[in-house]
Amino acid sequence: MAAVKETIDTVAELERYKYGFTSDVEQEFAPRGLNADIVRFISEKKGEPEWMLEWRLAAYERWLAMEEPTWAAVHYEPVDYQDLFYYAAPKKKEGPKSLDEVDPEILDVYKKLGIPLKEQEVLAGVQGAPRVAVDAVFDSVSVVTTFKEELAKAGVIFMPISEALREYPELVRQYLGSVVPVSDNYFAALNSAVFSDGSFVYIPPGVRCPMELSTYFRINASQTGQFERTLIIADKGSYVSYLEGCTAPMRDENQLHAAVVEIVALDDAEVKYSTVQNWYPGDAEGKGGIYNFVTKRADCRGDRSKVSWTQVETGSAVTWKYPSCILKGDDSSGEFYSIAITNGHQQADTGTKMIHLGKNTKSRIIAKAVSAGKSDSTYRGLVSVHPKATGVRNFTQCDSLLIGKECGSHTIPYIEARNGSAQLEHEATTTRLSDDQLFYAQQRGLSQEEAVALLVNGFVRDVLQELPMEFAVEAQKLVAISLEGSVG
Amino acid sequence: MSATFAIDLTDASTFPSRRDEAWKYSDLKRYLREAPAPSGTATVGAPGPFYDLGGEAVVFANGRAVGVTDFIASGEQTLRLRYISDAVGTGHTASARVAARAGAKLLLLETHEGAGSAYVAHNTLELDVAAGAEVTRVVLVEEPEDAISVSEAHVKVEAGGVYRQTVIATGARLQRIETRISHFAQGAQVQADGLYLLNGSRHADLTSVVRHMEHDGATSQLIKGVARDTARGVFQGKIVVERGADGTDARMGHHALIASERAEIDAKPELIIYADDVQCAHGNTVGALDESALFYMQQRGVPAEEARALLTQAFLIEVIDRIEHEGAREVAREWLTARL
Repeated sequence: MAAVKETIDTVAELERYKYGFTSDVEQEFAPRGLNADIVRFISEKKGEPEWMLEWRLAAYERWLAMEEPTWAAVHYEPVDYQDLFYYAAPKKKEGPKSLDEVDPEILDVYKKLGIPLKEQEVLAGVQGAPRVAVDAVFDSVSVVTTFKEELAKAGVIFMPISEALREYPELVRQYLGSVVPVSDNYFAALNSAVFSDGSFVYIPPGVRCPMELSTYFRINASQTGQFERTLIIADKGSYVSYLEGCTAPMRDENQLHAAVVEIVALDDAEVKYSTVQNWYPGDAEGKGGIYNFVTKRADCRGDRSKVSWTQVETGSAVTWKYPSCILKGDDSSGEFYSIAITNGHQQADTGTKMIHLGKNTKSRIIAKAVSAGKSDSTYRGLVSVHPKATGVRNFTQCDSLLIGKECGSHTIPYIEARNGSAQLEHEATTTRLSDDQLFYAQQRGLSQEEAVALLVNGFVRDVLQELPMEFAVEAQKLVAISLEGSVG
Repeated sequence: MSATFAIDLTDASTFPSRRDEAWKYSDLKRYLREAPAPSGTATVGAPGPFYDLGGEAVVFANGRAVGVTDFIASGEQTLRLRYISDAVGTGHTASARVAARAGAKLLLLETHEGAGSAYVAHNTLELDVAAGAEVTRVVLVEEPEDAISVSEAHVKVEAGGVYRQTVIATGARLQRIETRISHFAQGAQVQADGLYLLNGSRHADLTSVVRHMEHDGATSQLIKGVARDTARGVFQGKIVVERGADGTDARMGHHALIASERAEIDAKPELIIYADDVQCAHGNTVGALDESALFYMQQRGVPAEEARALLTQAFLIEVIDRIEHEGAREVAREWLTARL
């Protein structure tokens, strides 16, 4: 019954998008629009080495020659790429040495978001509570990274990618763009040209990262695109669990978020990447909201490596996102657990790709979609088996739940098997919320909304269980909030 | 993405390629760069596999109608629809129209009988199933390994109509059998089965789109396939439930065996759903023959090759068993067994 109590508590807290506030932080912008000079401006601002600038400019050239993809089952007003700001940074002294030097307005933002940036606060918490190192990215720059020293003792590098480019240029150069090449797709090319910050993680061989690492993205400035780049390298035999959260203010306009996440897992390494995506989804009429066009890919380069993606997608007006695994190393494995909740006028086209190249590689996909209101949700996934990949195993399960008469839910799985020893299984179901169950729960004294939240939480349980503890709680609350007003 | 392609064999610009999502796995343009020269005449020789079941016949020889091209069934009738190809390197197009009047019961026995080599055949069938009518369509496709063929069927099922189809394909250089079925009015029932058995470097593509436009329709689909040697089996099945088509019950299953190291299976089962009071599901599996069953049979003295053949037959025959008409089922069973 604990779950029921929790759900009731959650529902009691129901609010509309509660992260929709704006903060008045003094910021500096790059001029509006995109051209080679803006790319140079960003690179210079970051004090990047020459090769990085060239890399960016090459990406920009490629982007110019590419066309925006239209195959996803989403419709949106075209983005005017020349009308955006590509760089917005809170004004501050160069590199704050401690939290005291960070603009209190920004600290206030993260406080409101419930993100612990003060290490001592975390330490003073409940004994035994898990500690999380946070990299807080505010618009285009990382404002603070916590626990750096303690992590450094373990040999773990966790810092803004802009800093890593200065401090570990060779490491970054070796891996950047090796999983998601510059010309991979339209949004990845754009990101490669203009990304301004993001996190860089390196876990040395045999090290189990002593705490969860987390990045918290916040878009604050208006008419600004956020382009962050995350690069995680798990060296041989290492382990890391990484969390990502995101929010944005409520604005009438659509804002663009085009991120790239690259993960490299070497022999026996394991990476667990969890996302709770809660960008502003737009208002009840579908006005405003974030366009979330993200490329996330993991390269299981080493034998027996493992990467697990878990995502809870509740925000954004439009989502276009397919966290994928390239299973190159023999016996490597990939997992994808997803909850996509759409309400109002939201549209989500999300799924995964499992590319089996190595022998005895395994993958598992569990995707749960809940559509309500006038929203549309699509699961799109690919499982492919290379001719040389013997002994491949895949299991895929996609379940969709429809709430209301005006939403849509679609399942588009691709299987491409080119090896006789592969064993691939896929199953999908689409149903609506059961009237009987709703009636039963209401009969027991729950209101309609409480009953919906309870049933939906049950529906997505398989995936919630994969989330780290502190995220699971947040995600469960989100499920309820996202579906507010969806019934009756 | 879901647009039908108006393929015109005389105009190469109408040939879809893998860049067109619906033809991703069957790149017609790659195999057919130019419009083929028109085929000459062909003679109708053998009586065709369904001859013994009697009934009327609509026959096309290299695209030319031998007699009528349209058929309207009333009462209980059997129609043998035969597409005969006997050409070398040339192309031909045939279009037939078949309708079952309200309350009629039609057994439609369709055969694609190919001889010669490297021909290109394009067949279209328009089939209307009126209210309360019942149509069972069984399709046997046998063509030379270097032929190219595209067959399209557009089926419209009215209120309370029943439409069942079973397609049995053996592949060709590129063989596409596409069926588009609309639940045009409420309470229609559709069964859209098929199987493919592919040897050598043959390619078969079973594509279907079932559109539920009105409420309380039911669709059941079972597709099974075996790809041997370097063959390639493709299944693309889409079930669309339009807004308002509540009470829809749709189930789709595709199960394929890859029987060699270098064979390939590509599958894309899609559910596109805009109504909430529905029950929809699909299952899709790809794998090899069960090693433990093979071992068991060998242990009991069945040679490996024979055991393999028996298990393959048992796997595929499930589709044949679902053919309701006994006569058609037995012909299909024999036809398939002879090709195992």
